[in-house]
Amino acid sequence: MAGLEHLLAALTPINLAFALFGVVAGTVIGAIPGLTATMSVAILVPLTFAMPTSSALILMGAIYTGAIYGGAYSAILLNTPGTPSAIATTFDGYPLAKKGDGDYAITIACLASVVGGLIGAVALMTLAPPLSAVALAFGPVEYFWLAIFGLSLIAALSEGSLIKGVAGGALGLLLSCIGVAEVAGDVRMTFGSQTMLSGIQIVAALIGLYCIPVLIDLVAQPGHHLKVDTGSRGFRLGEAVRYLWGDKINAVRSAVIGTVVGILPGAGGSIASLVSYSEARRTAKKGQIYGKGEPGGIIASESANNATVGGGFIPTLVLGIPGTPPDAVILGALLVQGVRTGPSLFTNQGEIVYTFIWGLILATLLMLPTGLLIGRYAYRTIITLPKALLVPAIAFMTIIGSYAIRNNISDVIIMIVLGGFGWIIGRFGFTASPIVLGLILGPIAESGFVQAWTIGTATDNRMGMFFGRPISIAIIVFTLFTLLSPFVLARLQKIKDQAHAD
Amino acid sequence: MQTDTQRDTGGAVISAVMIGIACLVIWDSMSYMDGDSAVFPRTFAAVLIVASLTYIVMWLLGRAKAGAAQEPGSATRRILLVAVMLGGTMAMPVVGFVGAALPVFAALTLIAMYDPWTRFRVLVYPLIGTAIVLGFFYLFREVLLVPLPVGSLFEGG
Repeated sequence: MAGLEHLLAALTPINLAFALFGVVAGTVIGAIPGLTATMSVAILVPLTFAMPTSSALILMGAIYTGAIYGGAYSAILLNTPGTPSAIATTFDGYPLAKKGDGDYAITIACLASVVGGLIGAVALMTLAPPLSAVALAFGPVEYFWLAIFGLSLIAALSEGSLIKGVAGGALGLLLSCIGVAEVAGDVRMTFGSQTMLSGIQIVAALIGLYCIPVLIDLVAQPGHHLKVDTGSRGFRLGEAVRYLWGDKINAVRSAVIGTVVGILPGAGGSIASLVSYSEARRTAKKGQIYGKGEPGGIIASESANNATVGGGFIPTLVLGIPGTPPDAVILGALLVQGVRTGPSLFTNQGEIVYTFIWGLILATLLMLPTGLLIGRYAYRTIITLPKALLVPAIAFMTIIGSYAIRNNISDVIIMIVLGGFGWIIGRFGFTASPIVLGLILGPIAESGFVQAWTIGTATDNRMGMFFGRPISIAIIVFTLFTLLSPFVLARLQKIKDQAHAD
Repeated sequence: MQTDTQRDTGGAVISAVMIGIACLVIWDSMSYMDGDSAVFPRTFAAVLIVASLTYIVMWLLGRAKAGAAQEPGSATRRILLVAVMLGGTMAMPVVGFVGAALPVFAALTLIAMYDPWTRFRVLVYPLIGTAIVLGFFYLFREVLLVPLPVGSLFEGG
């Protein structure tokens, strides 16, 4: 394997210690709602300035990978994605925890994260230069269609009523427009309010829409938060490994999706996990019921979001274009360290790059024991803490976490108000997920749409701009396939059943 | 024939509210200087109106059915939870982060308390609450360097 000689350089005690510290710190920070992977890396970047370059990179990579995984804890145990990358983890993770299988869900998440992280890192090591070309092939219109593909997941996430799901998605897209328009700079939908001027911060909205309704229902009844089973069942590692092995295609496919989406600048772990979840759901085996506590949903989401770590480093290192927001912070640190990113990086400064990639692989492997241990502790804490302490502790974390994103009280107020609103409309069948999907994909869809529209107008070829580019056509076909295949398959099954009955 | 309990009247009311929100968005978009800023919100406001109207028509035709039964529980505690969180947050710029967080934590403990107050709980719960608030305050302010509000009451002293 390329750069194998640099494995020993990564295996020094000091680098291993940095990798371990980074994974543990990242996991703990990522588990706190509101503290994202970007923030975890940004906070610790100043520490790396005085370090040797490869050690600094290993520490940052370890923090990043740990934080992405840490987001799964609160997603599974509190229905609150600790980081936006863990949104899709809530879909099946929380229902599984409510059934009393939170420990199993956390172990599955840990294993899937390791698999995804390793596949992403190996892609970075072996395929970085050719894969970086993918980043350059995506223009505004491809991002627009990618966002539309993400929105097609609304059909899958609409429990009960597709129309309510579409309305929720449209509401989320409108909420994403609040504040100063990215493209033209108009102030939109603030109605004179200073609180609304900075727009709706996505992480604060996630915390509000997912966590506050859980708190509202938690406080209303005396019962336990999660179903508690008596007796110790350990990590349930064997059970989780067996399940993962049976669902290995899902894990690998999601990791590949995560790597490719990670390469696309600005797309990130949230889109990777949503797209992978959508694919896992579309290709569900008989008996797999996604959205009701299906471990395959956790595998798809966690494998994909951890694969974006390696994938995101590909354009960062080869082109100097950050693939994900934490990569942008790491790119800044690289420049301070004197590393010149570009296609020749792997040959001119191969020692640093390959030591870093091996460090990333080691950090991902270290995530298995540390993740299982921290996960078990987190699970026990959540199920044993009395409700009178659990409710204020979670509420307090949502407040401080939302505040810390932009040091802004308005984000906390919006978080609480959106949470109350989400709870009310949730009682009438308007679920949070389509709204969140609209909020996340709105800015990507809008800037892609407006830029493509402007280019299309300038070149007098709007139709060709939107429907004439090969990658766009492929995404459109895939979106239609995802949307229509369940109906077509159901229809075919009906015809088949009728033929049998006759 | 469907009864009112089977028909999703609540869903239809929320749909009407959604139409109101969409109309507000379209009205707001009339004031934008650049047409590019208006295309996206207007398009999805229209989608919201069409989806909501469709649901209302379905409700009128008796084809919109209510979903699963709602979780029962104390409405007072639910309202108090949101009110306390909102009130504490709004008080933060005035009384500071710790000054607001400690009473909020105490109030939420009372709201979420279903077990009887034993001597142990009376002594230990406030201690744990204070430790959590001060611990996170230290972590965010000193380690993560988040400028938590000091409070206008305590500034400039």
